[in-house]
Amino acid sequence: MNRQRLVVVLLALVTLVVVLPTPSFAVPVFARKYGVQCTMCHSAFPRLNDFGARFRQNGYQLPGRENEERTVLQGPAPFAGRISAGWNVRNYTDVPTTITVPPTDVNQLQLNGLDLFSAGVLAKNIGYFAVYVPEIKERSGVVGQEGGLEMANVVFSNIGTSWFNVRAGRMEPAYVAISEKRRLSFTPYAIYAYAFPGGLALSDTQTGVEFYGQARWAGSGFALGYAAGYMNGTGTNQADSPADFYGRAYVVIGAGEGQTAGQRIGLVAYQGKASPTQGDRACFTRYGLDASLNVKQWNLAIQYLRGTDSMELWNATRDGTFSGGFVELNWQPMTRLVAFARYDLVNIPDFTDSELNPLDPNVTYPSGFTIGARYYLVDQLALHGEYTNRTLDFAGSSVPDEKETFYTLSIDFAF
Amino acid sequence: MRRPVYLALFVLCFAASAVLIVAMAGGRFLENGPLPPVPVPPDNPQTDAKIRLGAQLYFDGRLSADGTISCATCHDPKAAWANHNPTDTGIRGQVGGRNSGTILDSAYMRYQFWDGRAGSLEEQALGPIHNPIEMGETLENVVRKLNAIPGYKAQFQTVFGTDVTADGIGKAIASFERTVVSGPSPYDRWLAGERDAMTPAAVRGMKLFEGKGHCSPCHGGPAFSDQSFHNLGVGMDKPNPDLGREAHTKNPKDRGRFKTPGLRNVALTFPYLHDGSAKTLAEVVDLYNRGGEKNADLDPLVFPLQLTKAEARDLVVFMEALSGTLPDIKPPALPEGPSTSSAANQGGAR
Repeated sequence: MNRQRLVVVLLALVTLVVVLPTPSFAVPVFARKYGVQCTMCHSAFPRLNDFGARFRQNGYQLPGRENEERTVLQGPAPFAGRISAGWNVRNYTDVPTTITVPPTDVNQLQLNGLDLFSAGVLAKNIGYFAVYVPEIKERSGVVGQEGGLEMANVVFSNIGTSWFNVRAGRMEPAYVAISEKRRLSFTPYAIYAYAFPGGLALSDTQTGVEFYGQARWAGSGFALGYAAGYMNGTGTNQADSPADFYGRAYVVIGAGEGQTAGQRIGLVAYQGKASPTQGDRACFTRYGLDASLNVKQWNLAIQYLRGTDSMELWNATRDGTFSGGFVELNWQPMTRLVAFARYDLVNIPDFTDSELNPLDPNVTYPSGFTIGARYYLVDQLALHGEYTNRTLDFAGSSVPDEKETFYTLSIDFAF
Repeated sequence: MRRPVYLALFVLCFAASAVLIVAMAGGRFLENGPLPPVPVPPDNPQTDAKIRLGAQLYFDGRLSADGTISCATCHDPKAAWANHNPTDTGIRGQVGGRNSGTILDSAYMRYQFWDGRAGSLEEQALGPIHNPIEMGETLENVVRKLNAIPGYKAQFQTVFGTDVTADGIGKAIASFERTVVSGPSPYDRWLAGERDAMTPAAVRGMKLFEGKGHCSPCHGGPAFSDQSFHNLGVGMDKPNPDLGREAHTKNPKDRGRFKTPGLRNVALTFPYLHDGSAKTLAEVVDLYNRGGEKNADLDPLVFPLQLTKAEARDLVVFMEALSGTLPDIKPPALPEGPSTSSAANQGGAR
């Protein structure tokens, strides 16, 4: 055993000693601040439960306890992280010969990702949340990730009333009704990843300002929520684009927030502009319907989206219309175990080759299903198994579909 | 092993070390640690003589109008210093509207009574005396009666240097109540490192308590109480509901809010809730699990929990592990004098 390996083994033993026999340790930043388990805010991390949703809406303060909150200077160090590693198997079949960057199969132990975050309360009703993603280059044994400040926002909550709050900075906007950043599966929601070439994907975090709130008619079991935002837009061809606007409204029926209790139904509309070429500005729209329905330990999440992209954004001869969404079923029979199954569908604009100029054979849109389960060995350490089978549709009519299968057995650790 | 695996393991180990360091360094807002020393107000220091006097007053029915009700009637040592009836029964068989809270560890509570109308044990001790339903007496009359009992008069002279006063009665009873403190529970011993002090079910319940059960935000701290008030909706569907804290503060925001009781020894102090409407802890957990009772002022911290039956059971098992050793206090001999009530002197069991 060489010296490096010995060090690693010793450190691994320290990890086991520190983490495993102390199940009451609540590790990430909020859990540590309050001395509670992760399951206070997460039905199964990273997915929020109703308490977590209210906590987030309230600017990372316990609802009703704003006067007693400790600021980041008064509590434990407000830093935490999340790392995932595991054995990944990813196979591609029917890869079109026309594509210039063919995908490569994977069958090895890989570091899936690493996030570092900081969050807390700066002063009463002023909270912040920041996520930094270190840049990791794609190579053998490592799934690459782009580095940068994925999120950094300040929340001004309860401005005069509990239903008027402002979040400013880089964030996951409220139009992502079923959070992309807190999804259970490793496989992204395909509809949120949809984008015209170089354009905005709803799954991208954005910089801007968002107003949001919720009015609850307690006793009626009915709550109405809203969010409206003004964002910069993202994507390579939006660099000099004007700001985008969106609005979302939702209703919650029953107690809870629709995360693990209550039924939530929402509508969203988004209008953006992008600059595919210098000086040009072209519109795109997104609108959709979402629902999060709960019955006992079951949650059914549904997202449907439609949208139109101006022809300039595709460099096509006509506007493109797409639609799609997903249906996801989560089942959590016990605190430590959650299973999920999802079907993603994206109907991309049905351009013929002659309508696209030039035809980009590398722009793909997946549809397919994902099933998986997470077992929490301790509160903050999940054993994650997942299988995904997707069909990758290429823009343009002449490029045949590609098949992708993905298996993983990983650990997901928040610290 | 390949380099990325080293990297992953290294980050894992670094993270675990950071966890240990930070967890040791930072106090935790809702931490349910062991009970600290009993807080004693500077204007009422504990003395043995005062505690003895307070014990006598606590068990003496002569503080009530008809001599039948003592503090111990509703806060009975045999019933974990509480009362197993849903609500109090006072003089002449009058039934009150609220459940008797336990005296055990009440010294750790910032507010007394379900609506928090007393800010100290001294103030609380006098409340039931002049409550027309409970002891039905006036403070002036109690002072006059006790001054007529030589044994009390002499003790008050020794302890306070005065004849019997209402202020002295409150202080003496409060001093006694500060000795009614429970000892370490299985939970405390588990925290101290005795890993077999709690059963696996209790440990699971503890995690639920601090997590999915969402108990800690209100039942946090050493006494398992946030020392605040919350609306669970219990009884709010009645034609004339108990308004709770609002009746004292006159603030509509306090409608239906009641004090968060401490949970130490909770398994012994049934029935539960301000109106004693829950006979068992399982019923209380069920109330929370279904998200409280719907009403216009339901606390935002209360919503359905989606606990399974097994989880609900584990939560109850954990609360049972909060029962500590109880103080061995016997009813004292009372000073001889007029109207000594034997019924109320026997620990108040009724």
